[in-house]
Amino acid sequence: MNKGSKIATRFLLVWLLMFTLVTGMYGQQQRFPKPEFESGYAQPHTLTPEPRSTAMEWLDVAVLTAVMALSAWFVLCKRSRQGILWLSVFTLLYFGFYRDGCICAVGSLQNVALSFADPSYAISVTVLLFFLLPLIFSLFFGRVFCGAACPLGVIQDLIIVKPISMPSWLRKTLGLIPYIYLALALLFAATGSDFLVCRYDPFVGIFRMDAPFLMTILGVAFLLTGLFIGRPYCRFLCPYGVLLNWTSTVSKWHLTITPAHCIRCKLCTTSCPFDAIDRPTDPKVIKGSHDGAKRFLVYALLIPVWMAAGGFVGFKAHIRLSKANPDVYLAELLITHPEVKKDRDNIDVQTFLSSAKTMDQLVEEARGIRRKFKYGSTAAGAFIGLVIGMTLLNQVIFRRNEDYVPNNGACFSCGRCMDFCPVERKS
Amino acid sequence: MENDKIKSRREFIRGGARISLALAMGGIAGFAAAGISREKWVWQIDPFECTQCGRCATECVLTPSAVKCVHAFDLCGYCDLCGGYLKPNSNALSTAGENQLCPTSAISRKFIEEPYFEYIINENLCIGCGKCVKGCTSFGNGSLHLQIMHNLCVNCNQCAIARSCPSNAIRRVKASEAYLVKGDFTKD
Amino acid sequence: MTMNIENKLTLSRNVAVVSGIFCLAVSFLLLLNYWQVSRFDPLESKAMEVLVERLSENPDDDALKNDIRNMDLLARKAYFNSHWQIRTGSYLLLFGAVLFAFALRMYHSLKSKIEVPEPHGEDELQARLLSQKWILISGAAVLILALAGSHASVNHLTSFGTGKPGESLPVTKAEENIEVIEVGGEPVLQSGDSLLAADGSAADDSIGMLAGDDESPRSTTTPAGEMSLPATSGAETTVNFVFPEAGTLRAHYPAFRGAFGNGISAHKNVPVDFDGPSGKNILWKVNVPLAGNNSPVIWGDRLFLSGANAQKREIYCYDRYGGKLLWTASASDIPGSPPTSPKTTDDTGLAAPSVTTDGNCVYAIFGNGDLLAVDYNGKRMWARNLGMPDNHYGHSSSLLAWKNKLYVQYDTNKGRKLLALNVQTGEMLWETNRNVKISWASPIMANIGGKYQVILSADPLVAGYDAETGKQLWSASVLSGEVGSSPAFGEGLVFAANEYARLVAINPSGGQVVWEQDEYLPEVASPVVSGGLLFVATSYGVLACYDAKTGEKLWEHDGGTGYYSSPVVADGKLIIFDTEGKMQAFALAREKNLVSESALGVKVVTTPAFANNRMFVRTGNALWCIGSK
Repeated sequence: MNKGSKIATRFLLVWLLMFTLVTGMYGQQQRFPKPEFESGYAQPHTLTPEPRSTAMEWLDVAVLTAVMALSAWFVLCKRSRQGILWLSVFTLLYFGFYRDGCICAVGSLQNVALSFADPSYAISVTVLLFFLLPLIFSLFFGRVFCGAACPLGVIQDLIIVKPISMPSWLRKTLGLIPYIYLALALLFAATGSDFLVCRYDPFVGIFRMDAPFLMTILGVAFLLTGLFIGRPYCRFLCPYGVLLNWTSTVSKWHLTITPAHCIRCKLCTTSCPFDAIDRPTDPKVIKGSHDGAKRFLVYALLIPVWMAAGGFVGFKAHIRLSKANPDVYLAELLITHPEVKKDRDNIDVQTFLSSAKTMDQLVEEARGIRRKFKYGSTAAGAFIGLVIGMTLLNQVIFRRNEDYVPNNGACFSCGRCMDFCPVERKS
Repeated sequence: MENDKIKSRREFIRGGARISLALAMGGIAGFAAAGISREKWVWQIDPFECTQCGRCATECVLTPSAVKCVHAFDLCGYCDLCGGYLKPNSNALSTAGENQLCPTSAISRKFIEEPYFEYIINENLCIGCGKCVKGCTSFGNGSLHLQIMHNLCVNCNQCAIARSCPSNAIRRVKASEAYLVKGDFTKD
Repeated sequence: MTMNIENKLTLSRNVAVVSGIFCLAVSFLLLLNYWQVSRFDPLESKAMEVLVERLSENPDDDALKNDIRNMDLLARKAYFNSHWQIRTGSYLLLFGAVLFAFALRMYHSLKSKIEVPEPHGEDELQARLLSQKWILISGAAVLILALAGSHASVNHLTSFGTGKPGESLPVTKAEENIEVIEVGGEPVLQSGDSLLAADGSAADDSIGMLAGDDESPRSTTTPAGEMSLPATSGAETTVNFVFPEAGTLRAHYPAFRGAFGNGISAHKNVPVDFDGPSGKNILWKVNVPLAGNNSPVIWGDRLFLSGANAQKREIYCYDRYGGKLLWTASASDIPGSPPTSPKTTDDTGLAAPSVTTDGNCVYAIFGNGDLLAVDYNGKRMWARNLGMPDNHYGHSSSLLAWKNKLYVQYDTNKGRKLLALNVQTGEMLWETNRNVKISWASPIMANIGGKYQVILSADPLVAGYDAETGKQLWSASVLSGEVGSSPAFGEGLVFAANEYARLVAINPSGGQVVWEQDEYLPEVASPVVSGGLLFVATSYGVLACYDAKTGEKLWEHDGGTGYYSSPVVADGKLIIFDTEGKMQAFALAREKNLVSESALGVKVVTTPAFANNRMFVRTGNALWCIGSK
């Protein structure tokens, strides 16, 4: 038994012998003990700049609340599009460029999901508030968060130049995407695999002025699309928007196009860049849909079928989906391609091999994660099935509208339509 | 008359839905409250787990990375032959460019007294590549190690380096104890 | 001055066009910069590496040094410049984009008149039907695509653990690669009652029975290799485990520093007069395929050792009479074994721990954590990996087998443990966590008060563990530093030492320090105690003799360059090799009495093994057999 480099350092150690003999047993044992300086050397301190304080997090919560409250006031009482616009600019600067897009309500839903699935994950109060406050506001005042307090929303809102109206079939179909994204985001967050929403946030890179190449391209693509299609991310991707849509649909108060009563002048019809204005229902149309009742019945009965199909597909997909988890991926890689163990450049494999973790432990962990995926993915599939079924069913339900009214679920409360209404405010 | 009826019925349904959604949110809040923490959480590297793979320099959302090398002076041996400062088999024990290990020359070496030298990291130049850490850990006391600097870190909801860290060395720590500097905290 | 609409329209249009072009230009430059940096990272320059490589060949080339310095500076400039450019570029782009968006909005809001509302809008009913169609199609498409995408995915996790690990046993029968090196005479081939000793059950506790061994070497007509080569041909032999008694162990030489690792050989007539260079009394010398710093162990007619390099790890079985390599067992295809070997210092290497045997199997551990047992035909019984040891010099603690347990000291930077495995199956019986720092010492076994204990030496604890349960029975916090010397047991005391720390005698009944010394301290070599005397050999070449009971220094001998090889007591003498291969034999006496001095002529860092009339020394890639002709 030999210890080689000890020999190489012999001279240094011998020099320190006296010191070692005195304190050797009690001092922290190091290969090269810290010397005792004779020249009165003053040791510098290790620099550890403090993180942003918790108080500042509360400031963020306060700012968010204030912006939403102001936005609700501008939309419901003041009826001022100008106010919303300037509030948007403030949000873009504060939550966007100053706070670098993080902390954000959209991403917070993943923290909540993870804290539900993993009791050891601690969620901080401020993050929970960021998740809940916009929903609470939306339950009372509509999506005032989207209109002026969401940095992702306002950056798209501010660059709308010439919005084109999309046919309703396309909107409805693309409208399924956020539900699928929500289901996947929750699944990945709850299994502790990934925060998809944060990872593929197209705008956060712009706020930070620093992003990987592909994410920059994605962000610019969204913005360029946004010149002509109002808020593409909010309408066709945002998973948090799904929840806000639900709460806003039943909101207590909501933006109205007209301050008094609608005169059906149709002036507002082209004002909404998001096609979120419902037209008055034509009684003839409702009468015309004579097979509506039959369809309603069929679609309603189909819902369990959709859910079962979705659940089945979800169950089938759980193996593929769980491969996105790094641990599962590594375990399977080592099982199917044991030759990667010889690949010195594969950092993950090499680090695992030199760790104290055994293959058995890794595989056991991976199996645990896959088990979570099995249940999660089945539930996600059933949810997607339910959404498809409900969306279909919605297409044969007619709500009686007398006037031109905002679609409470889809309306972002940006207030553009208000300026188009020629009706004077009641004094 | 009929319209009013429809309206009030609709209002009633919406009210009911509103209350149930509010209850659902209350439920979420209540359930989440079980695992809630008053603390703010930030990301930090456990230097005892770190294997200096070099990903901190490339995976951080910031360029250059928010990960920098810090120096735990208490653990430093103040060696002349510093594995963190000098290239392996370096030409001479000097500050000359051909001998320095750091690609950006972020470590400055200062003579104190025979035969000791002090090593200080210039955080502005450091890119967090961990080359010096590897050198110091393999040949020295491991007093140089990587930490996430919180004046730079934007505290992403999920840290991109944590996800790609092969040794799971990055974890969330309380903001009140935001650093895991060697010597101040020990393993186990 | 007021602008009319027309002017504003023109202005905003022009601003939009100009800022748009500006944005495009900046984007293009940024893309160019990105492409350049991603193609060629100035900080990872290959040219630089080449220059540094050249400098290491010509360390005094000042022109080359200057070139490197200049290039280094340029690389850093290029790196920081490109970062500055990207940063500045993004700000410019942001500025341009804001201007562009603003101007465009302005232009469109000025231009747009109140649009004529659509007279009808789309046909509600028609639109709804279309929506239903598309939702149906895309909903079904999503599900079908997801199903198709996941159809072929296989759950590979289920296939893990079903295959039988280590079923193929690469046993290469040594044939042509054996090379008996002629050293000053004919290699002497012997056989005899050696096979008797190979069977643990046959050997009885009396050493005397074996004492007659080799006294009159008989030449045989059959080549030694064939004679002692057991039947290996395909037969599914299972080892009938018979656990030898302590006396049987002593009759052989089953571990590093002999039975129980105590450094005492019971063999007679140990040759102390030889000369390596001239071949005097060198019976044979053979090549060992792979180098290693482990010491040979002996059971009957077989001698075992191991060797390793970065790619291979092997156990060798030699016929100890003729020096023929009987078989080689390879430690390959062990589940969990890391693909690359750990970094070790040359002085330690990847095969520093000595193998051990109990008459049933040979057990070996290697620097990468591979631990395996092979039977006496070289057939693998079991193998496992203990996890790559995090050890900055390399794992070096030798193995010890007693009864049904194999003891492994696994003190690494990641965790300090004493492990006990079932010798028959390799199953982990217990592991005891040790509250110590990493160490390199080997375990010894001692019978204290009728109970067998495993004794380990580390920083700071010297401790005894119940050989049955692994429970720590006593400890003394006495050492510091990087402990490489194993403890020794004798006169009812446990002796432990480390360089720069101290030499202590501990009463194992309670862990009290009986005496301590710090004049001569060993670094690598382990102490040995016999006949009331304690011997300590330092790595700077002093052999010191102490009174084991009192700690009084009796004598010292400044013998040579340094001692890595541990002193061993054999045949009433203290035998020690220094690093230059010079052997010294001292009388076991309270006064210094150098009985004999012989030179092997090559570096020796391992500890010799003994049989009656024979001494075996491993030197890196060679195995020497010493004995009178």
